[in-house]
Amino acid sequence: MADIEVLGLVKRYGDLVAVDGVSFRVENGEVFGMLGPNGAGKTTTLEIVEGLRSPDAGSVRVLGTDVLAHPAAVKERIGVQLQATALPVFTRVREAVELFASLYPRSRPVQEVMDEFNLGEKAGEYTNKLSGGQMQRLSIALALINDPDVVFLDEPTTGLDPQARLNIWSVIEQIRKRRKTVVLTTHYMEEAERLCDRVAVIDHGRIVAMDTPRRLVAEHAAGTTIEFEPIAGLDAETLRSLPGVDRVAHAARVSLTTRTPEAVLHALLDPQAPWARVATAAGAATVGAGASGDGMTGGAAVGAGSASGEAGNGNGGTGTVIRDLMVRHGTLEDVFLRLTGRSLRE
Amino acid sequence: MILFRALSSRGGQPRMSAFRALALNQVRASMRNRVALFFTLGLAVMFMLIFGLLFGGGSFSLNLDAVDNDHTPTSQQYIKVLSSVSGVTISSKAHDPAFNDLKTDNVAAVIVIPQGLAAAVAGRGPAQQVQIYQAQQGSTSSSIADEVVAHVTADFAGGGHAAVSLAPPRTATVNQVTEMDVMLPAMIAYIILQSGINFVAIGLVDMRVRQVLRRLRATPVSARTILASQIAGGALTVLLQILILVLVGTFVFHARNYGSWLLLIIPVALGTAAFVGIGFLLTAAARTSEAARGMAAFIAFPMMFLGGIFIPIDAFPQVLQTIVHILPLTWLSDALKEVMNDGAGLGSIAVDCLVLAAWAVVTFAIASWRFRWE
Repeated sequence: MADIEVLGLVKRYGDLVAVDGVSFRVENGEVFGMLGPNGAGKTTTLEIVEGLRSPDAGSVRVLGTDVLAHPAAVKERIGVQLQATALPVFTRVREAVELFASLYPRSRPVQEVMDEFNLGEKAGEYTNKLSGGQMQRLSIALALINDPDVVFLDEPTTGLDPQARLNIWSVIEQIRKRRKTVVLTTHYMEEAERLCDRVAVIDHGRIVAMDTPRRLVAEHAAGTTIEFEPIAGLDAETLRSLPGVDRVAHAARVSLTTRTPEAVLHALLDPQAPWARVATAAGAATVGAGASGDGMTGGAAVGAGSASGEAGNGNGGTGTVIRDLMVRHGTLEDVFLRLTGRSLRE
Repeated sequence: MILFRALSSRGGQPRMSAFRALALNQVRASMRNRVALFFTLGLAVMFMLIFGLLFGGGSFSLNLDAVDNDHTPTSQQYIKVLSSVSGVTISSKAHDPAFNDLKTDNVAAVIVIPQGLAAAVAGRGPAQQVQIYQAQQGSTSSSIADEVVAHVTADFAGGGHAAVSLAPPRTATVNQVTEMDVMLPAMIAYIILQSGINFVAIGLVDMRVRQVLRRLRATPVSARTILASQIAGGALTVLLQILILVLVGTFVFHARNYGSWLLLIIPVALGTAAFVGIGFLLTAAARTSEAARGMAAFIAFPMMFLGGIFIPIDAFPQVLQTIVHILPLTWLSDALKEVMNDGAGLGSIAVDCLVLAAWAVVTFAIASWRFRWE
């Protein structure tokens, strides 16, 4: 039996359908991610599953119990970290952990949890004085105080600096090692790719795809993506006719999908091609490929250079200049873009 | 905070009920909120201090009231002679106002001039005695009054014949209340008013806005328990402040309670319930913490001046009197003063208590009906 069974969930706010027929199952010990932009309905779905909101239609079973019928019984066995974690004012870290421990019939020893989440140093600090990363660690610690079977983390790393984000990721990996079932929401694809066994891509209140990150990418964003600034005389139609190009997106940036990136780049830089231009003043165009990336995409870039580098075939004064080139493997970001036509962080 | 620790950690690893843990956390947090405490307990103590400096001490002066039952030039002459003594101020008053002055410590003694004084002095009537009344607590000034009046009376009666003499002083059955004695119940009422409304209204709205309530509801604790714990915590905070104020008032400002401390618990508890109820009601009306703050001030400040804690209610014009008698603070301050200053029994404050209970019931009923979690 799955730890979580959600069937046909619907939640409306007036005319807005926040959750529009969401169904999914989460197996025991699985880390399940809900990926989507702000307002996609991730948090609303999560809060219904946690028993904090009631749906207009649909059913939710957590650990075999109907959440709508027996919310308290379910809440005893789950741990919850809300998106905006707020704790009572004028409460110190240790006091907050003690307070939440007393809210459950069974709870783990306070000191043990404090140690596990590295909170000992901050035990006497008021919770509102904590940094974003410390606050999030405390908030996850509170979610685990009752030694829950299922843990819900709503955007655990939103708003954190990269250092704190890595720290939280390792915390979540620790939770996974303890064989807890975890449901998390995020709009960072890196987070979903690194942490989740399975991901549901959510947009406009619907699950548009659900699978392991690897299979989602293989299915919806196979191959390599080559991105660069549009080149004069090279329109979408021409690009599509290049050998090896599977898919073309032509907007503010050109984005090609291919399984043979070397051949495509070669064709693009062909000096005989109609779009190859005569190099203007100052001789040769820059040789080399520029790579741009945020360092976490895991994508491969051709060559090296600054983010605004150029690639060109520069012998003889004529050729094609490719500005702001980026070559990378498909990611969940591409999956989302392909499925919804929008970027995750729009 | 020692008190809190004692309450919260009896026996090694505490396993408090969720209700108790939430309520005590609320009390502890409130008692750490220095800014909020300044406006409740802090100002109450400051008011007592200011009034203490204004009315305490000073150079020697003896204030007396004379009740002239003779109404003759002779009796007026007698009063004039008394007032000519250096430091003595004497005013002619009717019986009741004079004894009221004695009660409120405005005068050290009341002198009652008997009818037939003039006749006695002229030797045309029986001998008369001037009566001097002092409050129960024989203070220095009242014994000075005794001596001064005895001396003047002997002089006034003149040469040998004892047509007029001063009767041995009698004790008037009034509690002589000092400024501090009056201030203490007023300031208890002030704390109940301010912190009853503020701590609950602002606290709960803030917890709702910042989603603390939602986080608590993600635990197995029932919504009812969460709400009840916060309200109980607010009420406990009020009572804790009153305890501190009473200790400071008694031992630092020497305020006295002529009534029963035990009986005092009833109006204090009902008053706290009424004002916490008003605070709770505000949480249903206010969407933001700022709105709650504004509404609390809007309610508390006018009531502070109309509710009989700073300005006597009798001072208001008739139109205002009607409004004043709807306010719960009026009934609360009346009950507290009756018990503490007059030593009143339950019978005399029953109406006050019923009105306060009615306020509590109505506000709680409406508030729990209209309360919003989101």
